[in-house]
Amino acid sequence: MSGNAKLRRSVMFQAVLLVVLMLALSNAPVGDAIWLNVPPTGTKCVSEEIQSNVVVLSDYVVVADDHGHVPTISAKVTSPYGNNLHHKENVTHGQFAFTTQEAGNYLACFWTDSHTRGAGEVSVNIEWKTGIAAKDWESVARKEKIEGVELELRKLEGAVEAIHENLLYLRDREAEMRTTSENTNARVAWFSIMSLGICIVVSGSQIWYLKRYFQKKKLI
Amino acid sequence: MERKWGKIWGLIGLLLLNFVNNVSSLSLTITKVECVYEIVRSEGDIISGNFVVVDHHIFWSSDHPGIDFSITSPGGDILHNLKGTSGDKFSFKAPRSGLYQFCFHNPLSTPETIAFYIHIGHIPNEHNLAKNEHLDPINVKIAELGEALEAVTTEQKYLKARDAVHRRTNESTKKRVIGYTVGEYILLTIASVLQVVYIRRLFSKSVGYNRI
Repeated sequence: MSGNAKLRRSVMFQAVLLVVLMLALSNAPVGDAIWLNVPPTGTKCVSEEIQSNVVVLSDYVVVADDHGHVPTISAKVTSPYGNNLHHKENVTHGQFAFTTQEAGNYLACFWTDSHTRGAGEVSVNIEWKTGIAAKDWESVARKEKIEGVELELRKLEGAVEAIHENLLYLRDREAEMRTTSENTNARVAWFSIMSLGICIVVSGSQIWYLKRYFQKKKLI
Repeated sequence: MERKWGKIWGLIGLLLLNFVNNVSSLSLTITKVECVYEIVRSEGDIISGNFVVVDHHIFWSSDHPGIDFSITSPGGDILHNLKGTSGDKFSFKAPRSGLYQFCFHNPLSTPETIAFYIHIGHIPNEHNLAKNEHLDPINVKIAELGEALEAVTTEQKYLKARDAVHRRTNESTKKRVIGYTVGEYILLTIASVLQVVYIRRLFSKSVGYNRI
């Protein structure tokens, strides 16, 4: 009887594992992304303002339209200085990953190819992760041999660090802007006084010149 | 037995990995209508996000009526509708799962750039587990903590975008102050020189002596 109970328990345990695994796989990152419609003519571009030394990870998949046919698109990613970071033509899916060298606006553009054109808009599923969201937690878990609750807490700690960094960045930007505002404030005051001064100087020199001119002409 | 429980924890950890959906803050240029779609996996998820209009080429204020924003549920009802805004935050519970549509509409013909961030948060609860699983309260608490941190991150993205807009306005003000003031000085000088030249011409020899 105890042998049967043990067998039943192990079978149940395997069933639980299988169910959990299936649930984990069914939650695989398909919904982690936004969908965009790429028009048949022209390009659709998304951009983001990213600082330097940030990891960017992205994955794009073309979604099959109603007829089951999968159109192909082309993708191009450029850095703020114009360097081409990723360029692919006639693909149905692709991914790119890079670490930003300079701070600025990173642009990712998609357009439909000439031979698959005509059906209308193409739906593209884009997954775009920067910074802390792009961190590979599985390799961290493997390297440090942590799992479960400890891994989740480690992720929360990473999120808190990212929040702290963002806050420092915002504080620095605020300080810069305060400097600019105070500069502009001082400049407005100075330039207004100077414009009054220039007005007086110009009209004074006008009067002086005309007086001299009339005296020369012996009209005064 | 200990290793089996370790494996279970590992799998639950992997499960939880997928519960915090995240999308980075992106910018789009809108000429007429642009729509962004997001899949919400289970009903009751909290959809939160914000958007800011970054590229207001306003010469004088109240030139641009703003951007219209709407959220459509998979059933077709409009959940959220805003007209003529320059940026807003939103947060609501998804009434059902499916594909949600976030649309921006630009009433004018000049293209505008929008920076938006959408986050779908999910807290595991009793409804979406299989029969043989147990929901550990610590996982729920960790998911709630994660969601609270995501709310802070969402707010920070909004602040970053607003800061970028403010910076643009400031730099534009600085350029305008310098440009218009120097232009004003030059124009004033030119106007007074022209005045003097004109008066000289009035008194020139071609006019009769008794005129003035």
